[in-house]
Amino acid sequence: MITEQLFTLAWILVKILAILLPLVVVIAYTTFFERKVIGYMQVRIGPNRVGPRGFLQPWADVFKLLLKEIIVPSASNRFLFLLAPILALAPALAAWAVIPFDQQLVLANVNAGLLFLLAMTSLGVYGIVIAGWASNSKYAFLGALRSSAQIISYEIAMGIALIGVLMAAGSLNLTEIVMAQSGNLLSWYWLPLFPLFVVYWIAGVAETNRLPFDLAEGESEIVAGFHVEYAGGAFALFFLAEYANMILISVLTALLFFGGWLSPFQGIPVLEEAFAWVPGIAWLLLKSACFMFMYLWLRATFPRYRYDQVMRLGWKVFIPLTTFWIILVAVAVRLGVGPWF
Amino acid sequence: MLENYLPVLVFIALGLAFGLVPLFIGFVIAPHRPDSEKISPYECGFEPFEAARFKFDVRFYLVAILFIIFDLEVAFLFPWAVVLRDIPVLGIWAMVIFGLLLAIGFIYEWRKGALEWE
Amino acid sequence: MTGQALIFYTFAAVAIFSALMVITVQNAVRAVLFLVLAFVATAGVWLLMEAEFLAIILVLVYVGAVMVLFLFVVMMLDFTGATQKGPLRYLRPSMLLGVGLALGVVFLLFTVIGPKQFTIMDYPSPAARGADYNDVAHLGMVMYTDYVLAFIAAGCLLLVAMVAAISLAYRGHRAKRQRPSDQVKVKASDRIRLVKMSPGSRG
Repeated sequence: MITEQLFTLAWILVKILAILLPLVVVIAYTTFFERKVIGYMQVRIGPNRVGPRGFLQPWADVFKLLLKEIIVPSASNRFLFLLAPILALAPALAAWAVIPFDQQLVLANVNAGLLFLLAMTSLGVYGIVIAGWASNSKYAFLGALRSSAQIISYEIAMGIALIGVLMAAGSLNLTEIVMAQSGNLLSWYWLPLFPLFVVYWIAGVAETNRLPFDLAEGESEIVAGFHVEYAGGAFALFFLAEYANMILISVLTALLFFGGWLSPFQGIPVLEEAFAWVPGIAWLLLKSACFMFMYLWLRATFPRYRYDQVMRLGWKVFIPLTTFWIILVAVAVRLGVGPWF
Repeated sequence: MLENYLPVLVFIALGLAFGLVPLFIGFVIAPHRPDSEKISPYECGFEPFEAARFKFDVRFYLVAILFIIFDLEVAFLFPWAVVLRDIPVLGIWAMVIFGLLLAIGFIYEWRKGALEWE
Repeated sequence: MTGQALIFYTFAAVAIFSALMVITVQNAVRAVLFLVLAFVATAGVWLLMEAEFLAIILVLVYVGAVMVLFLFVVMMLDFTGATQKGPLRYLRPSMLLGVGLALGVVFLLFTVIGPKQFTIMDYPSPAARGADYNDVAHLGMVMYTDYVLAFIAAGCLLLVAMVAAISLAYRGHRAKRQRPSDQVKVKASDRIRLVKMSPGSRG
């Protein structure tokens, strides 16, 4: 009995590590590709010294960050100061527990998966607020305030956009949401829920504090925002959390609006058979990679928003727009309009 | 149902533990030589003047309060959206009235200018 | 299932411990964070009772929204003066009266509104649900039909809360208005003019 339970626990741990370790490697290489991609967009080469074509650069960064001194400012609340990065990272990682990678490939196939994800995203704000407060530094405090108000503003639009997906699929379970989109490329939800997809994606960029919404950091005004006092391993945790959230948003966009692991050639006579050998997870990763690239592209293209513009976009544009569209979706679902509902 | 949540619980615990590793490495392996300049709060090279924790704009509270209200609205929408296909007409009208009430509130705060950031 | 009992007692212990810390810890921000921990542990207990939706909504609404507001409020207020001494500074002989009152309330709780009066004991504890049991759908089917009045009342309450929040916290305009729509619409050609110059001409 006890050994059986321990065995179950060990098996769960193995599965979790099978998600976590690749995730960390992907995060490390995302930072590398970010520098490379933006480099080429700005007609530079980007990092190319460590290893062939700079391919070992992320590992050099990791070791350098881990081996640096963790500075704890004299005025800070020591315990909370060190707790904040952990609180930022834990929900960003825990959200991955309910992500399905293929029809059968999911760690925790919970019924309320979408709700769990929203709850985990809403916890990310604690790491930032506590970091800003515990640092006892003006820039950190300002950055934390800005960031938390921005995150909670965009969370509403994000939640309403998710409601639209929920209505269309009729389930909170992520696997069922993806399966409800099967058919062909046009039956994925990006088409019937197009405004919701756009809002979800932009809100996702704002939630992760990425450019053009990175007012939390805004290095030209408040130096680095909430993590100005952090160094070494503690800073690395914030970095990890930010990138884990970015990848999460990309994967979620692919799952909720772009058919997840479903092949884009589904329903097309010849091509469907020709590409039937490709495993579903490859499609999911490919779709997510496109959105990761969008993150970098946005960063290389757009200047930073001003704070009043950010708040205006969240409250006065996204909330009315998403509300209007979910009313349309509700009517369409009730009347059974089109091939989607 | 519970067996589905066990991995989630383990994942959360592991996520918290995962965060401890870099901090642990940082305190054990990395150098630790603080001096008074290094650990003073960063303020662009100046001596920090006045306290870093100050009273901030009341607007941030307003945003937080409005967020709670809209978050609750979204929470009420979740079960409704799940059963939208099967719910009796009464349930549809209930949500219409609920939505109208919140729309009135939203229009009020918009007209009042509470959503403006200057 | 011993593992489940172990998880329950862990969550319950954490909830009680953090609830105690909320009222005894000296730093107000820490008190709020312990309250967060209490909510999270309570959500765990609810989840063990298979109230999936409520447990996650507790985290989403209370931890994710209400406690953020609490943190804002506590961070703004200056508590440095009030945090010098521990909670025992309130220790007075008159506290015996409080202890007596508390005991009386506990007595009343058990005799007047205890489990017996509500005949909870007469019902068997619900059987464990299967892996695909979906309480969100069950809630949805009753909340908007059988309990429609309570649902509408909640809507009214939210409206009142919204109006109250604005009338309490909103102080009106303070600066001249900007028109962000115009600012966003600005084209590069409105702001900058590129002039062709031959490379030979200097200055």
